[in-house]
Amino acid sequence: MTDTMFGSENEQWVCPNDRQLMLRAKLHTGWSIHTFQSERQRKAQALEKRELDLIMSVIHRAEQLELIEQHRIGRLVERLDNMRSSAMGNGLSQCLLCGEVFGLLGSSSVLCLDCCMKVCTKCGIETTAGGQKRTQWLCKICSEQREVWKRSGAWFYKALPKHIRPIKDSILDNRKPVIERGEQLPVARSAPISYTWAQSRVYLSESDGSDAELSECSSDRKTFASETNQRRDSESSGGQVQTPQSSFTSPTRGNVHIESPSSLVSEQSSSSSFNPGLEDEVIDHSRTLLTPPALSRAGSLRSSSTSQKSEGPQADANRDEDDLDQAFGATALVASKKEEEPDVEGYDSDDSTTLGTLDFSLLYDQENNALHCTINKAKLPVPRYKKGLKPMDHNGLSDPYVKLHLLPGASKANKLRTKTLRNTLNPVWSETLTYYGITDEDMVRKTLRISVCDEDKFRHNEFIGETRIPLKKLKPNQTKNFSNCLEKQLPIDKTDDKSLEERGRIMISLKYSSQKSGLVVGIIRCAHLAAMDANGFSDPYVKTYLKPDENKKSKHKTAVKKKTLNPEFNEEFFYEIKYADLSKKTLEVTVWDYDIGKSNDFIGGVSLGINASGERLKHWFDCLKNKDKKIERWHTLTNELPGSGYND
Amino acid sequence: MASANDARYGQKDSAEQNFDYMFKVLIIGNSSVGKTSFLFRYADDSFTPAFVSTVGIDFKVKTIYRNDKRIKLQIWDTAGQERYRTITTAYYRGAMGFILMYDITNEDSFNAVQDWSTQIKTYSWDNAQVLLVGNKCDMEDERVVAGQRGRQLSEQLGFEFFEASAKDNINVKQTFERLVDVICERMSENLESADPSMTGNKLGPELSEQPQRSHKDCAC
Repeated sequence: MTDTMFGSENEQWVCPNDRQLMLRAKLHTGWSIHTFQSERQRKAQALEKRELDLIMSVIHRAEQLELIEQHRIGRLVERLDNMRSSAMGNGLSQCLLCGEVFGLLGSSSVLCLDCCMKVCTKCGIETTAGGQKRTQWLCKICSEQREVWKRSGAWFYKALPKHIRPIKDSILDNRKPVIERGEQLPVARSAPISYTWAQSRVYLSESDGSDAELSECSSDRKTFASETNQRRDSESSGGQVQTPQSSFTSPTRGNVHIESPSSLVSEQSSSSSFNPGLEDEVIDHSRTLLTPPALSRAGSLRSSSTSQKSEGPQADANRDEDDLDQAFGATALVASKKEEEPDVEGYDSDDSTTLGTLDFSLLYDQENNALHCTINKAKLPVPRYKKGLKPMDHNGLSDPYVKLHLLPGASKANKLRTKTLRNTLNPVWSETLTYYGITDEDMVRKTLRISVCDEDKFRHNEFIGETRIPLKKLKPNQTKNFSNCLEKQLPIDKTDDKSLEERGRIMISLKYSSQKSGLVVGIIRCAHLAAMDANGFSDPYVKTYLKPDENKKSKHKTAVKKKTLNPEFNEEFFYEIKYADLSKKTLEVTVWDYDIGKSNDFIGGVSLGINASGERLKHWFDCLKNKDKKIERWHTLTNELPGSGYND
Repeated sequence: MASANDARYGQKDSAEQNFDYMFKVLIIGNSSVGKTSFLFRYADDSFTPAFVSTVGIDFKVKTIYRNDKRIKLQIWDTAGQERYRTITTAYYRGAMGFILMYDITNEDSFNAVQDWSTQIKTYSWDNAQVLLVGNKCDMEDERVVAGQRGRQLSEQLGFEFFEASAKDNINVKQTFERLVDVICERMSENLESADPSMTGNKLGPELSEQPQRSHKDCAC
């Protein structure tokens, strides 16, 4: 208070020092402003919660009264608009309100003081204006206009109702007719309303540039403009405030007037604000002006936060769509592209040791012509992002399984597979896969390829790593353990594929019976036949010929074994022939896939005789040299047979 | 029209709009000069000798009948202590009239009238009317501020002047009635002096209405 007096002192009083000292003596505040400020600061901070609750209850009560008042003003404006819209005359030759025609036979007319329109004496109100003795007339519309002006307090707040009232009425919640009328009026009066808004915008830009960018309703904008104008006038006049003639102020400043104390109360409790002088009070007043924009800014932050939340589900949906697209695309790939794509992945890896390790053991049972492959376990790397590729599994784990191939001659007949283990990078299969019909020749020539793959339900299986073992390293009947590092996939040698294609294996027994004076041919079984049917199997049977055969009497057929690639026939056929003639003959054995209603499919064949080579020639010679002894051998079926027709 | 209004808005609305004007009035002054007692005497016709300091702000509503008009008064009572200053000054802007009060038995409260006057000019509308009231005039034996000094100060500041007593109900009603009268006078003056600007502002809607009316003529 002393500082306040100090501020006004410069303007009005001649002897500031004397008055200042006198007041300080009476207020017992000592001679130091610092001491006084400290005391004021301490008091300002001491606003208790009980006091705040009391103040808030009063503010709440005032807000309710203000709401009732706004409804009342809205009704006044609505009534005035109804009167105005019900006018029927043109105000020149007719009465403005009732439309009665003036003239010699009609009623007399009077001129309205405000709108300068003619009305009849019934629709006008006589009034004495100012000091003039002559009576003045007002039409009922203008008279009602003045009453609304008085009753709403617009005369005090310098706001004309016809410019502000309809917009304010449109925000009333529980009055639909007012809302409808509010929507109509701005259209009819677009010019003055636009002018008013332009005016307030100019003022806002003058006061603060950042305020102009805030999105506010027009009423609030007018309120700030008028308050800023009021502040400027007060400051410029040095305490002697002149009457501003602004026509764009709004009675809704009452709302701001109610809201500001709430902010001030919270400000009072949270900070140590005090008013040591007039200038500080001016600053505090400006802070009050800026409080609603802060609230508006907080609202916009909340809305932007909401929009960020709404983007989340969309982003997830897009990711799901990407996964589906990749799944569809993957299934559409042809087999050759499947083989090429793992190569691309292989080239991306920098270090082969990072593909993991595999523990397995191999045993060649020479007597049974069987190769036993025991897949023990593996240690796989964590799948990582490759260039432009996604991880193998979203959960960071794999579903690994192991494939075995005998190279060369990669066909379905010699491919074996373990079961798939789910969600693990350290799978333990402990599974033994066995190749049958493996001859010593195969052990010298063949290579075993072991591949570890990741099975995916929606996409093609991913290649993880592979290792290759030349079978000649193995010694017969000795189990050898391996713990190899997995390597990237090597390109498949296609040259071997162009030669005779293997179609599986067949075990044949031969014996020349001296007693019967003929050749006994035994079809024991087949192994790893090529699949000729769509279900991945064949329905194999075997035919045998002893050629040359002019009469085709030497044809023998086994029974058909349904749906198997490893059939067991165990059938013997007898060919009556002299021993001296046997050396000139050739035994042809062919394997077929039986199909109902269609021609049977040729799977593979083999021939034994003096013209044969390799294992087959040896088998034939052993039969000739060892009479009456049954000799069993495995033979590889090939896809072509010289001199053999494909006709069944 | 009145009966239509009554039937249309119901009983409560009729009671609510059972007044012509609404004025907001603010009582300010030093602490313990008797602002709250003055308000209670006028609104409730009661008096409590015990002093209870007002916390922040409070208001009461009273409807009076003056000059053939029903006027609803919302009278705000403010705390005079310094610590509530930022709260009370926020309500200056909405007030149409002020009662600036001092205690005739307290020299400090009279000396502070000048400062309160500066605050009114700083925070309120220029249209606001101010009455200077010296309270506790019943305590003549302890008077330290002569009535003549109060009147001279009010003339200097341009305010009306009253000496009143909330305890003995002296000049309480007269003070409020006088404040209402000066507010009504100001309202009439404002209405008449605003005729040129009012007429000027009305040119806008008329100009916008004429095309509409000519459109109607074309339709005819």
